[in-house]
Amino acid sequence: MVGRKKRKGSKTLVNIILGFICLLWLIPTLGLFISSFRPAADILQTGWWNVFPHQDWKKSGESVQLPKETDLRQPIEVGGKTFTDDQLKSGVTVDGDRLMWENRRARTLSVMEKGWEFKPALTLDNYKNVLSGKEYKLKNADGSETVQKGSGLSQAFWNTLTIAVPATVIPVLIASFAAYAFAWLRFPGRKTLFVVIIAMLVIPLQVALIPVLKDYTALGLNGSYLGIWLAHTAFGLPLVIYFMYNFISQLPKDLFESAFIDGASHFTIFSRLILPLSVPALASIGIFQFLWVWNDYLVSLIFIGNQPDVQVMSMKIADLVGSRGNDWHLLTSAAFISMLMPLAIFFLLQKYFVRGLMGGSVKG
Amino acid sequence: MKKTSARKWSLLLVLCLSFTMVLSACGGGNNASKNEPPAPAPSNNEASGNNQDGANNGGDGGGSPLDLAMKGEYKGTKVTMFGPFVDADQVKFENSIKEFEEKTGIDIQYEGSKEFEATINIRVDGGNAPDIADFPQPGLLASIAKTGKVIDLTNILDQEKLKANYNQSWLDMGTMDGKDGKIMAGIWNRSNVKSLVWYPKKQFEEAGYEVPQTWDEMMALTEQIAKDGDAAWNIGIESGAATGWPATDWVEDIMLRTTSPENYDKWVKGELPFTSPEVKHAVEVMSEIWLNKDYVYGGTKSIVTTAFGDAPSPMFDNPPKSWFHRQGNFITSFFPETAKVDVDYDWFYLPPIDEQYGKPVLVAGDIYAMFNDRPEVRAVMEFFTTGESIKTWVQSGGVIAPMNDASLDWYSSESDRRMAKLVQEASTLRFDGSDLMPGQVGAGTFWKGMTDYVSGTATLDKALEQIQAGWKN
Repeated sequence: MVGRKKRKGSKTLVNIILGFICLLWLIPTLGLFISSFRPAADILQTGWWNVFPHQDWKKSGESVQLPKETDLRQPIEVGGKTFTDDQLKSGVTVDGDRLMWENRRARTLSVMEKGWEFKPALTLDNYKNVLSGKEYKLKNADGSETVQKGSGLSQAFWNTLTIAVPATVIPVLIASFAAYAFAWLRFPGRKTLFVVIIAMLVIPLQVALIPVLKDYTALGLNGSYLGIWLAHTAFGLPLVIYFMYNFISQLPKDLFESAFIDGASHFTIFSRLILPLSVPALASIGIFQFLWVWNDYLVSLIFIGNQPDVQVMSMKIADLVGSRGNDWHLLTSAAFISMLMPLAIFFLLQKYFVRGLMGGSVKG
Repeated sequence: MKKTSARKWSLLLVLCLSFTMVLSACGGGNNASKNEPPAPAPSNNEASGNNQDGANNGGDGGGSPLDLAMKGEYKGTKVTMFGPFVDADQVKFENSIKEFEEKTGIDIQYEGSKEFEATINIRVDGGNAPDIADFPQPGLLASIAKTGKVIDLTNILDQEKLKANYNQSWLDMGTMDGKDGKIMAGIWNRSNVKSLVWYPKKQFEEAGYEVPQTWDEMMALTEQIAKDGDAAWNIGIESGAATGWPATDWVEDIMLRTTSPENYDKWVKGELPFTSPEVKHAVEVMSEIWLNKDYVYGGTKSIVTTAFGDAPSPMFDNPPKSWFHRQGNFITSFFPETAKVDVDYDWFYLPPIDEQYGKPVLVAGDIYAMFNDRPEVRAVMEFFTTGESIKTWVQSGGVIAPMNDASLDWYSSESDRRMAKLVQEASTLRFDGSDLMPGQVGAGTFWKGMTDYVSGTATLDKALEQIQAGWKN
């Protein structure tokens, strides 16, 4: 009895801690989400939490006029009390009201009182600008202005999808073949080959950029979809093979032996037994690979470039902020739009995800 | 369990659907911006007579590559171009080359990337260099030119024409060390002016202030404004990983005003150390403003934490909370859209300190280098040496054309026109020093040292030693 109660108690504690950690992780995302609906000027001035009802100093309408010749570098006398200039700059509280410079030049102080702020200013402009393209105002020779509309995210969205889907399917497919072979076929050099592939996990992909780029230039693959599919496939394969190997090698041996006795070929075993059984693993590594490709910036930057007809979302979003970063507030909404697809994929496959996560945990 | 998964599915469906809707709704208009078919070139027959020798020796035969291109000689060819400007600047650039593309039938495929500096080296090393690249930092081009991969323009472009169309100092700045000897590594297409102090014109005049003509007058006005109740200057040097760069511009500008141009050149080359009295003096002059909390909006402490783009915003409050902002002409893109040039804001030239050094002007710009030698690329390069190549951009504001044949009438605002004049009449023209220094210094210790000094984590001497140490790496 006592033991069970204790367990229950500790469970609540664990849940509270987990909930707290969850919250901690979610706060930045929440802040970004709220910011994405705020006007640019507000984002610059105040934090996202200001959208919630909060107490704030408001002008009461009263103001105090000091003599024009007041020397700001000396203590300043206001209604019998003296303050320094710094105090008045940041606001000083007197009897529940706050005194602050309204116009330092004209030497007027405004009296502020606390009040509730309920109505936040929200706008959809950030989303409009990101989705349908920014408007550029260009001056003509005669001084008139023309408005030219930039392109939105849609082209980049389809480009990214065109890259991400094959770049997920190809490596996962190749890796499951390879994993089956490493796990269940006996051929000379199997272990060495496997170790070599695993060793590739530690090579950072950055060191391969220039050599691969040279080869691509020679083959004419630069800036083509085929090139980037191959690049993503190659960079992703070691991990995917390792992951799939761990899963497939754990499947019960008896299954295959009986299939063999019944005269099944390797290909039949693979397609009829292995693939259906390893759906959880396929799904979870699929999510991993998809997320990696979707969020990738570096590989696309090098191998596919920034031409509008092949440009991926991550690069388009980086461009949105402008040459000098003057429109960085658009990143808030752009981040959320680019998140939609991975979120959709995650929810689609999430029931496999947790199961599949353990695929790599038990070493074969 | 069943219920939740059903809900998730519906959520997913809604998400996907709404996204597709949004995409399809705005998908239609985009194709309009794609390349239009090249306009019919003026009669091909006539041009084809001399195209053989013209294409082969690319210059002497039937006129310059540009003349041939204008005759439609290179119709249907493509020239790739890679540069750092994106977004609004990219639109302006594409507008400025549109007419050329239509006339010649050459398709200039511009690719902009925010990661230009990081990518160009990889592309060049990987053998995937663009035909033309736009370098905002000549220092970067210089390091690539040393590898011998940049094509020497000396024999490709008509030197006489160049000399006529550019101030000699621009040509000098385009000459760099190649693999074997000096080469002409690039030509200047866009420039911007840095020695400007922006101020809210209307209120400035209403307050009865006058534009200062000397440094002393400027300091007196600064003090006057402080007495009147405002901090005169708004300064911000925060810029993410590049925090500190606006401070380097200040130092360079003051260096030009307190010491000889020769010393400036030596300093940029690393021959005059940061620890020398000349540099130290320049930073001290700067500190008279920067380290006086009455002169800087928000006090000295806020300099490091204010983003350079947000810094000028107090000028546009009514009444202004601060009055001066020293920055290059690009900063206008950060000004509020409602503020009008020549009416609400204007600039004055950062006044000289020591009369003997005249009226020096600090500039920056974009240098175009060529990586692949084909006749049509030559034609495009030649086109970029003409003012015509930047005309519409000049009209829409934000850039100054370095070419002499760019007419002052093109500038749509008085402010831009005065800038162009300032550059043409400058007694000394010097390029932004930190962009010329090697990356470790110009984009490394110089930024960091200045930030440390302003934030108070290092003394002046220590900061200068720290900056100087960058040369050794």
